[in-house]
Amino acid sequence: MESIEGDAGNFQVTVRERPRYVDMDKCIACGICAERCPRKVKDEYNQGLAKRKAIYVQYAQAVPLKYVIDADHCIYFKKKGRCKACEKYCPSDAIDFTQKEKIHKIEVGSVILSTGFKSFDPRGYDVYGYGSLPNVITSMEFERILSASGPFQGHLQRPSDNEPPRKIAWLQCVGSRDLHTGCHEYCSGVCCMYAIKEAVIAREHAGGDLDTAIFFMDMRTHGKEFDRYYDRARDEAGVRFIRSRVHSIERAGPGSDDLQITYVDDGGELKEEIFNLVVLSTGLEISEEVRKLAQDLGIDLDLHGFAETSCFTPVVTSRPGVFVCGAFAGPKDIPQSVMEASAASSACAVLLADSRNSLTQEKTYPPEDPIIYEEPRIGVFVCHCGINIAGVVDVPAVRDYAETLPNVVYVADNLFSCSQDTQGLIRDAVKENRLNRVVVAACTPRTHEPLFQETIRDGGLNPYLFEFANIRDQDAWVHQKEPEKATEKAKDLVRMSVVKAALLEPIEPLLLGNRHKALVIGGGAAGMIAALDLADQGFKTFIVEQKEKLGGYAKYVRKTWKGEDGRAFLADLKERVRGHERIEVLLDTKISHVSGFVGNFTTTVTTGSAEQELEHGVIILAVGAKSLKPDEYLYGQSDLVMRWHELEKLFEKEPERLEQAEAVAFIQCVGSREPERPYCSKFCCTSSLQQAIDFKTRKPGLDVYVLYRDIRTYGQREELYRKARELGVIFIRYSLNEKPVVEETRINGKDKLKITVKDHILGIPLELQVDYLDLATAIIARGDEELAKMLKVPLNEDGFFLEAHMKLRPVDFATDGIFVCGMAHYPKPLEESIVQAKAAAARAASVLIKESVEVEPTVSVIDQEKCIGCGLCEACCPFGAIELIKVSGQGYRAENIQALCKGCGICAAACPQKAIDMKHFRDHQILAMIEAGGEGR
Amino acid sequence: MAEGAIKLGGKRKSIFMDKVKKLLPDGGNLNLCLTCGTCSAGCPATGLEDMDPRKFLRMAALGMDEELTSTPWVWMCTMCYRCVYACPMQIDIPALVYEARASWPRETRPKGIVGSCDMALRNQSGSAMGTPPDDFVFVVEDVLEEYRETQPDFKDMEAPIDKKGAHFFLNQNSREPVTEPDEMVPLWKILHVVGADWTYGSKGWAGENYCMFLADNDSWEKIVRTSINTAKELGCRVFLNTE
Repeated sequence: MESIEGDAGNFQVTVRERPRYVDMDKCIACGICAERCPRKVKDEYNQGLAKRKAIYVQYAQAVPLKYVIDADHCIYFKKKGRCKACEKYCPSDAIDFTQKEKIHKIEVGSVILSTGFKSFDPRGYDVYGYGSLPNVITSMEFERILSASGPFQGHLQRPSDNEPPRKIAWLQCVGSRDLHTGCHEYCSGVCCMYAIKEAVIAREHAGGDLDTAIFFMDMRTHGKEFDRYYDRARDEAGVRFIRSRVHSIERAGPGSDDLQITYVDDGGELKEEIFNLVVLSTGLEISEEVRKLAQDLGIDLDLHGFAETSCFTPVVTSRPGVFVCGAFAGPKDIPQSVMEASAASSACAVLLADSRNSLTQEKTYPPEDPIIYEEPRIGVFVCHCGINIAGVVDVPAVRDYAETLPNVVYVADNLFSCSQDTQGLIRDAVKENRLNRVVVAACTPRTHEPLFQETIRDGGLNPYLFEFANIRDQDAWVHQKEPEKATEKAKDLVRMSVVKAALLEPIEPLLLGNRHKALVIGGGAAGMIAALDLADQGFKTFIVEQKEKLGGYAKYVRKTWKGEDGRAFLADLKERVRGHERIEVLLDTKISHVSGFVGNFTTTVTTGSAEQELEHGVIILAVGAKSLKPDEYLYGQSDLVMRWHELEKLFEKEPERLEQAEAVAFIQCVGSREPERPYCSKFCCTSSLQQAIDFKTRKPGLDVYVLYRDIRTYGQREELYRKARELGVIFIRYSLNEKPVVEETRINGKDKLKITVKDHILGIPLELQVDYLDLATAIIARGDEELAKMLKVPLNEDGFFLEAHMKLRPVDFATDGIFVCGMAHYPKPLEESIVQAKAAAARAASVLIKESVEVEPTVSVIDQEKCIGCGLCEACCPFGAIELIKVSGQGYRAENIQALCKGCGICAAACPQKAIDMKHFRDHQILAMIEAGGEGR
Repeated sequence: MAEGAIKLGGKRKSIFMDKVKKLLPDGGNLNLCLTCGTCSAGCPATGLEDMDPRKFLRMAALGMDEELTSTPWVWMCTMCYRCVYACPMQIDIPALVYEARASWPRETRPKGIVGSCDMALRNQSGSAMGTPPDDFVFVVEDVLEEYRETQPDFKDMEAPIDKKGAHFFLNQNSREPVTEPDEMVPLWKILHVVGADWTYGSKGWAGENYCMFLADNDSWEKIVRTSINTAKELGCRVFLNTE
């Protein structure tokens, strides 16, 4: 991106596209060019541990999967027109050396910057010997070593001699939490988890005979399910966790490639260990290139080069209309990045709501030809796929064989069936030969089935009258050395597909009505933000809150960790919600019943004794969480013991209390990370340190103690930890089996508390005399079993709502049309709740904008004549798509709710009466295929 | 180490570490400790006297001033700065050690170090071995003559003393002229081969400074000043500290 001119809603973006020297329309990603290319280049994707060619794809899953020529290394460009091997061998004539750089001017309304991060280069960190000791590698290099597509095909081996290591060490915080020049003060936030993951996977690869040790300062596994993973890695996988930072790495001896690490244990005893491989857990940073881009675009950066954002508007940059997501907005992991991505898209959607659909074009299809209901007339198209298939399989023989099969009236073979001109040929052949079923024998349905379905739709056929015979991925590619057998197999596959094609039936699209309204359950910050984003996009939104006022947990947030005024934010938020014409707030209201499905929910709510029904298309769950009231550390027994924000509130109300106090203490992890509740409440460290800093700033003479297990001020919050130490806050680490002991005492006629705790470094007991104790207690779920049951969405073991996929679908459920955000999902700071709320709004809006809800129609069908009402299918269905209905005089019968059905087939497999069939995969279709498969033998 | 529990809290008293912090740029980062153990893993004195740099700093942070200023461990620190070099918080632990040393009454400090410092104060050499300027001049000239005669390649080599206007002023650990005179020669040879214009000074020639290790600020300064003044008087442009 060269520049952005103009203003929000009306930008002109200049983009420079470098030449690829490969015609994207022609390249079929067969890889022959790279095979033939004589020029080997260091493979950046594999961190330089392997070589690639000068024509390459960056990695196997690259999108689009098209080759590119690296002109900096290509012989043609280096030696004036020599070589051209790729051009000579390319079967689809895709090489184009004449391509030139192009400048594009794009008109857009908003911009999202998601430029990501760069991994810290530890070369300058001389004590760890990276770059001079061959077996000291970075975590990124180790990722590649573990990968099946990596330099060693996933075999665990070390660089110096390609021998499998027997002992591996990970060193945490390399380049992070470090004041050395070139390093970063912030915590990179993701390294603890990836190191544990690498250690666990390395042990799996090595088959158990591997010693893994992670050297760390604080273990930061603060995300959802992360602490459980940490516990399992230690207790089940046998990963060793050593709380000690390593001073330096040295060669184990003259001529040895092994590495010696010296460290001190908690007691201060010096230990030495020899490792075969050392992995440096390098942190995240912003590259110079991105800093420069930001400068050119007029985006403010913080001290560390991350985009400057507010906790209240976490995806908004300093330039209106330009948004940010991912690591460019601060170090973060995949789930958080994915949520931010959705949040940024929501911010764009709000900004551009007025112009929604103004540039869209609708595709139209010809009406379906009545011929589809006649006797099968099948066309078979066999693909060469360049030489991918034809190099192994005798394609003309397969084509000729197809012609002999029953119902086949037309056959052809094509060089590339997926090319645009071939699509035209298929369409014409359908019409000219009055075909009503089509079989394509080619690459794989995984990538190309939708394309061919579209083609036959253009030819007037129903898209489900298409069948794919996979003769490349599952034949030519896996039987390269047995071409004759491969040809026979291709014939088998084509025969099976033809038999099934004859039995195919047209399936009508499943279109359901859509109520363009949203229901948000919970009126805290997350619920209000989600409602505002939806209402600002034009959707009527209900907020149902069971308490008598809006606000939720956010009302306790006096300041964000960046120091912004939480109360002012909340007041403004409430005002915006209250004043919004499209938001209807129902306070003191409970959900009593939910029915329906995506696009068509009906929810019964009760306000006092009054009941009403709300009709809406989506549901956003933002019910929040609460904090634990503990029964330890004298909580509830002594007035001097408080929790969470109670102490700062007391000092705010009665400042003389702070004036008179001599010492205060915080105890962290009260009720969190215990066997009963094995998760981290995530923002307690940040919250306690904010208070500690505040007290210490207001009264420098105050002694402040923080009793902790791991300080988890992840990401840039690490700044708070440094600040607190700088101000003289004393941190004392305790362990679960030696918790602090709190007692009441009187000193000089004043009630005080005596806390006894062992010092983690000196190993001796410390006796703290404090005026007040504040407990950072666990954030716990509200106990939403009933609500979860009503909505048919799951809770995790800790009672928080369980999303569809932690990384890929972090605000969705398996059930369409229901989304989650805020602390209902997991404990999190305000800024993360806001991100997730906006993400949920974006996901919900993607449903609400549609005129009608289109559902994949390959659902199950129930023959109620055969059904005996046993209920097995209902019990099995993971999507709540089957319900038992009462049929008078017959008892119960199963009925399918098509909108919820995902077509997985579990019900059909479970049904003892064989009363359930899957559309497009009916028993008789599958059985016919299987029978046809056996005929060739 | 202290018996029983350490009592903390209550009326805040001025503690030793706070005093040291005031003396250092950025307070030597003394407050920033993460108790990670990097310093102790790299320290050659770890484990001696049941002490290591991390424990030492921790005691300072907890205000255990009595233990801090009485442990003999402070005299085992070599001031090598390996701890600071790798410390992620760049904490100046050696400076804390230094001030702890300085808190010892002079007569209670280790005899060897006190003796070496006192010896250096006896004459203008600044030598911990007490070697007077004349002895140094004699040894240098004697060794130089021997090498000029026996090694033809170095027949023109020089080892000037008090040469006015020389570019470099060199100092010299006094162990060499006293016990291993030949050990001075390799450096002379290098300087000769590269054609450097250099000189020793008859005053302040000794490079070692035990008064620094003794944490005796005044004496440390006196010895340094003697050397520097000699270099200045001779009009040298660069002081080459060979220690």
